[in-house]
Amino acid sequence: MKKLKTMDENVLRLTILLFAFLLIAGVTKGDSFLKVSIFQTMGKQLSEYGLMAVGCGICMISGGIDLSCVYVANLCGIVAGLLMQKSGFPIWAAVIAAIVTGAACGAFNGFLISCLKIPAMLATLGSYQLFQGISVVISGGSSVGNIPKAYSAFGSVTVMGIPAAFLVFLAIIIAMSFFMGKTVFGTRIYLVGTNAKSAMFAGIKNKTILTGTYMLSGLISGCAGLLSLARINSAKADFGTSYTMQCILIAVLGGVNPNGGFGSIPGIAIAVLILQMLSSYLNTFPDISNYYRDSIWGIALIGVLIINFTLEKRKTARQAKMN
Amino acid sequence: MKNLMNKLIKQTEFWVFMIIIVLALLIQARSGAFFANNNIVDIMRSMICPALYAVCALLAFVSTGPDVSFPLIAALSSYLAIVITYGTGYDGPWFVVYLIGMFFGALMGALNGFIIVKYKFPSLIVTLGTSSLFSGILLGAFEAERMELPDTLQRFGSMNLLTVSNEKTGLGSALPMTFLILIVVYLIAYAVLNFTMVGRGVYAIGGDEISAERAGFDVKKIRFGIFVINGMIAAVAGLCYSVMSMKYLPTEFAGGEMVVIAAIVLGGARLTGGVGTLKGCLLGTLLLTMVTNSLILAGISVYWQKVFIGGIIIIGTAIPAIQYFLGGSRGKKVKGGEAA
Amino acid sequence: MENILSVKGIKKSFGGVHALKGVDLTIRKGEIHCLAGENGCGKSTIIKVISGFYQPDEGSIEIDGKGYPVMTPSDAIRAGVQVIYQDFSIFPNLTVIENLAFNQVLANRKKLVNRKEFRRIAEEAVAKINFEVDLNALVETLPVADKQLIAISRALLENAKLIIMDEPTTALTKKEVARLFEIIADLKKRGITILFVSHKLDEVFEISDSITILRSGENVISCPASEMNEEKFAYYMTGRHFDTQQLGQKKKKGAFGETVLECEHLSAAGFEDVSFQLHQGEILGITGQLGSGRTELSLSLFGLNRPVSGRIKVEGNEVDIRDVTTAQSLGIALVPEDRLTEGLFLPQSIIRNITVTRLDGLAGKTGILNSKTVTEESEKWVKELGVATKNHELPVQTLSGGNQQKVVLARWLANRPKVLILNGPTVGVDIGAKYDIHTLLHQLAEEGMAVIVVSDDTAEVIATCDSAIIMQGGRMTGRLESQDLTEANLAKAAI
Repeated sequence: MKKLKTMDENVLRLTILLFAFLLIAGVTKGDSFLKVSIFQTMGKQLSEYGLMAVGCGICMISGGIDLSCVYVANLCGIVAGLLMQKSGFPIWAAVIAAIVTGAACGAFNGFLISCLKIPAMLATLGSYQLFQGISVVISGGSSVGNIPKAYSAFGSVTVMGIPAAFLVFLAIIIAMSFFMGKTVFGTRIYLVGTNAKSAMFAGIKNKTILTGTYMLSGLISGCAGLLSLARINSAKADFGTSYTMQCILIAVLGGVNPNGGFGSIPGIAIAVLILQMLSSYLNTFPDISNYYRDSIWGIALIGVLIINFTLEKRKTARQAKMN
Repeated sequence: MKNLMNKLIKQTEFWVFMIIIVLALLIQARSGAFFANNNIVDIMRSMICPALYAVCALLAFVSTGPDVSFPLIAALSSYLAIVITYGTGYDGPWFVVYLIGMFFGALMGALNGFIIVKYKFPSLIVTLGTSSLFSGILLGAFEAERMELPDTLQRFGSMNLLTVSNEKTGLGSALPMTFLILIVVYLIAYAVLNFTMVGRGVYAIGGDEISAERAGFDVKKIRFGIFVINGMIAAVAGLCYSVMSMKYLPTEFAGGEMVVIAAIVLGGARLTGGVGTLKGCLLGTLLLTMVTNSLILAGISVYWQKVFIGGIIIIGTAIPAIQYFLGGSRGKKVKGGEAA
Repeated sequence: MENILSVKGIKKSFGGVHALKGVDLTIRKGEIHCLAGENGCGKSTIIKVISGFYQPDEGSIEIDGKGYPVMTPSDAIRAGVQVIYQDFSIFPNLTVIENLAFNQVLANRKKLVNRKEFRRIAEEAVAKINFEVDLNALVETLPVADKQLIAISRALLENAKLIIMDEPTTALTKKEVARLFEIIADLKKRGITILFVSHKLDEVFEISDSITILRSGENVISCPASEMNEEKFAYYMTGRHFDTQQLGQKKKKGAFGETVLECEHLSAAGFEDVSFQLHQGEILGITGQLGSGRTELSLSLFGLNRPVSGRIKVEGNEVDIRDVTTAQSLGIALVPEDRLTEGLFLPQSIIRNITVTRLDGLAGKTGILNSKTVTEESEKWVKELGVATKNHELPVQTLSGGNQQKVVLARWLANRPKVLILNGPTVGVDIGAKYDIHTLLHQLAEEGMAVIVVSDDTAEVIATCDSAIIMQGGRMTGRLESQDLTEANLAKAAI
């Protein structure tokens, strides 16, 4: 019981919501929804934007925001795709090059934000144009296809019925949960996000922490780019542009405080699961347009904000009485 | 005179203006076609919609924070206006269609305003959420698709304020009537922001919300009003966009918000609120429009467009930081944490 | 003399918490009345009641002989009550003219901006206190004192009869305070009553005619200033007696241990050519006004303001303090000036706030934290410094000011520093907690720690330090040792 209490309240709420939803979906659409194939598709789809949401989420925890996730992912996909097209270039090397590219993009964001002190929103607003521009330039403005079979096969591989992409997502989620929750660096990200000035006076190297955070975000986005390269067999400079807003939305739904300092990786992961299931569930109704998803997300975002707001208010009142 | 110079140098608008001049001269030098009448008219034409959006972005930024919902408000409200025009078979003057659009825009803006004022959530997140909601309504509930415009708007769209043709190249260009709408919106906005107490209130609440409340400004009403008006301006922009492309294109709206925000920030709007002018808005929009429209004239491939825009935004936003470093090294302002 | 204000039996509670439990406050016309009390005693609540922002649950309000069963903010303004808040209620992004004119124009329910009228109002306002300022300047470019004068002249425009000043001297330099007091005296001559809210002893005695002290929502005493003295004042504020004798004892030069820290001709942004030595067990004061370079000097010792010339030696070895981490590893700790914005992570837990500087040590080489170790460390310090909390997983913002300051102290003491620098250690701290903190500093010095107290509060420096250096305009103008450290000598050295 005590364990349950110390668990992040938001994660607890989201988990309950997830199971409640599964129950409703199972009862109403058990035959067409609770199918392995549906879950496999979901696993593949959510991995990409789920990862970007984690990247954006940690930046929001650090007190900023990363609007460039999607474009970093596209750039990384294009870099990997172009390298793989060259005969004789090993696939693993292309993958590493893509991940390095992601980290470099992130580090560039970090440099703009921590060294040049450009507000994160503006810095990544500018850099996403830049990354997109570079993608257009190196890909010649068209989609990069012709991916070696050996790599694109990864998009359809399953391990015990679980898509490999989802396993990658899961692995990164676990690693990041540990990183944010248990390591010194992670703890410092939370502290810098709460109050950068206090952090400086407490001997935290803000520049290092912020650069690291954005680098990590870039790296994770790079992984997302690689996953989508495998899934759709191509990469393009303007692929998935609507994901940017979705990522922020998921992060906030998952309990990340837009002002920084609070939020958890498991929360983001569960928010991704809920939203993907919701939209897949809606897909099982043939006469409901897929676009409804947008509305539901929007309502969910604002609804969750309002619920958190009310609960937080009560909590503060309770804590004030305790001391 | 020297005083005036000093004052100018301190203004961001002045620097943006200088960059515009330099860029224009460079393009002219390389292509000889920048100052051609058709190019100028083309740029003016391309500026109409972004410049209208820029007013929305400015009002939100100065008073509250970023608003990213205007493209979807534009899309949904202009859709509703057009559908209602078709439904009723209305064929009177064009501005009635605009008024219908503005009505719906105001409703959507009111939703933004209500949530932001009531709960004090960050405006970025709220408008993100409502954008998503509006997008779902537009494409999901209404299943909006591209369509022709009603006759009244078609007639309005085919009216031109001025047509020019370049004698050398034979290329022509026309400035649509919507340009007048842009001018009217800017004039009204300028008058309200500078000569009414409500307009000053927009700056006051952006400067210090609590002080504004104590001074007697109705902070909630002003903030709510701003979002309602933003909705209305967005609706106007949406209809202008449709009129200028002679078609309603539901998926062409989303995604424009970030460049517009970039434009007003380049024009000197401060992210923390309270600072930003319409002049800066126009200049910032002009600069980015020039980059999108005219780089090709200078022989730079369109592929490089985004790289340039990104570069300009980064350099533009880094200027305060660079100024700070230059000022800081003289050891003028060292207090507390600012030293590091 | 008649009363300008008379409130009786005011009660006000918020969600079950009684902020005011029956407060009486009577102010006579034309006097300077001081309202004193510790943080959370109800000072700001009673101000809000008088200015109409809160409706009291019980009690009566009478202004200038007229009763107000229900009073709104505009009633209060019409009755001549003006409040000058600590933040001055200004708009940094607008011009002086607009800052001065807004209130009146809005009060007249004007909808349009008339530039001429704005200017006329602004000129009228500044003329009231002979305040010289560029009316077209943006307020954010002005010094703090000017911002306050804007607030005062704006208040005078509204035909103020009673001006309430909430902690008006907090951000001012000595010179500016003197000027403010002149203005207050001048206002008094013109028949304007001032309610001066403060907790600074010397100021209260210097200007007030009578004093009311509040403690936990009740008024404990109201009397003419002449009947009050320092000891009584402290007692009424806190309900405790303090033995300040022992703290005042100063050690002689020879009584200290080895030299720990030494500066030789140190210069950096904000100060020049500062030299001093600091020994084990010594408490050294660095005092000077705002802008004297005292804060900058302390930041240089902590790696936040890189010296341009001169040397810093720690235990005899020349060091280059590049950043806070270097300072930390050399055993230097600094408690910053503004607890709320520079010290604490307000919404984060007490655990995180205490262990922030020890994370590397607690994690060891792996960089992985064990929550049990972290919790134990925090518990240890909560106990050691007597932080009053039941659950240290609560956000640190739920603590009182004094306890928050203890959390910041704990963070640095956990590193066992050789040199502890405190910048304004007791700003905004209650008398009780102030006493605790001063006692703690003496205890630490007894144990051999070298302490630097950076403060503009000369009384504090005299009360706690063994010696002091005086800074002015970025230069060190003197050093006073043990018995020479007196108010008179400090004043002399500062000239």
